[in-house]
Amino acid sequence: MGEVPLLKELYAQYKDQGVAVLGIALDEELKPVKEMVASKEISWPQLWDEDDTISKLYNVKGTPFYYLLDQEGKIAAKDIPFKKLSGAIDELLKKK
Amino acid sequence: MLQKSFTRRLGRPGSLLGILLFLALPVIAQNKPAKRDDREMGRVQAMITQAKKEAEEFSKSGGKTDDLKHPNLKWAATFWRYRLKHPGTPATVVATTQAFTLLNRSNRISELQTKADTLKLDDPTWEQIINVLLFASIKTKDYSYLLAKAEALTQSAVDPKIKARARFNIGEANWKKGDTEQARINFQTVVTQYPNTPFAEEAEGNVREIELLNVGQPAPQFDHITINGDPLSLAGFKGKIVVLKFWGTY
Repeated sequence: MGEVPLLKELYAQYKDQGVAVLGIALDEELKPVKEMVASKEISWPQLWDEDDTISKLYNVKGTPFYYLLDQEGKIAAKDIPFKKLSGAIDELLKKK
Repeated sequence: MLQKSFTRRLGRPGSLLGILLFLALPVIAQNKPAKRDDREMGRVQAMITQAKKEAEEFSKSGGKTDDLKHPNLKWAATFWRYRLKHPGTPATVVATTQAFTLLNRSNRISELQTKADTLKLDDPTWEQIINVLLFASIKTKDYSYLLAKAEALTQSAVDPKIKARARFNIGEANWKKGDTEQARINFQTVVTQYPNTPFAEEAEGNVREIELLNVGQPAPQFDHITINGDPLSLAGFKGKIVVLKFWGTY
């Protein structure tokens, strides 16, 4: 969770350049998810993956876990460490 | 002999008390090892707590993982001695697992392998040890020992859970080595041969990942409701770069 402030910075920096962030919470219950999103003032959309449908679809076994998708909806990176995220986004923006 | 002397002392043969005692004796005899198992488990758990405490104190005072004076090494030896003195109880399995885990933590890989060689392939401890061997091989990037041991276990282990775990770990090692096709085959084998083990579902996920979740492949589509109640479709993000962050508050 320590990454949230950094991800907020990244989101602020890139959201007008065609970059979206989507949070997928794997919690058992919705309440702590809503509380966390509110207290950290997270503005990107959040899904609660109640029955693990999405995490199974992406074979996610632990959190945090990042996928990066390109403009065509293809997988650009899987299990990418947070600190490499902005570099990878820059690459994709350059290609366009 | 025991039953006879009990009967003589506590009730005439044929008396109600005698019959009851005679019937109850096997139950009493069975309960004894169960109690001993509980006591031994408590003892081993206390050892684990103490070992953890000493390791924490050691690293807090600046001690390094590889230090020969690290308490993990002393405790690995203690747990191993426990195993040799008390074979064949549930606590033995826990103590043995601890010995291997601590050796791995101290990077004593060759000692780990020497000790693993003394375990028979039908030892129940393999269920955990084969995982420790996988962790050790990932750390050293040398998978040969793990692969040979796991292969032997898939042949000769008695417990199907251990056979499944061994097959699964062969797949993991293949995958880490970059041998993706072999990994896929081994995970698929877990799915088909051990369908009712906890590993089957995980193996199925890995097969899917190897086949469908590679860089350059289309991201799986989904539709979902956001926590604010709005419908959301991944397809709606076409044309944008998307960061998917899987997370949890736990």
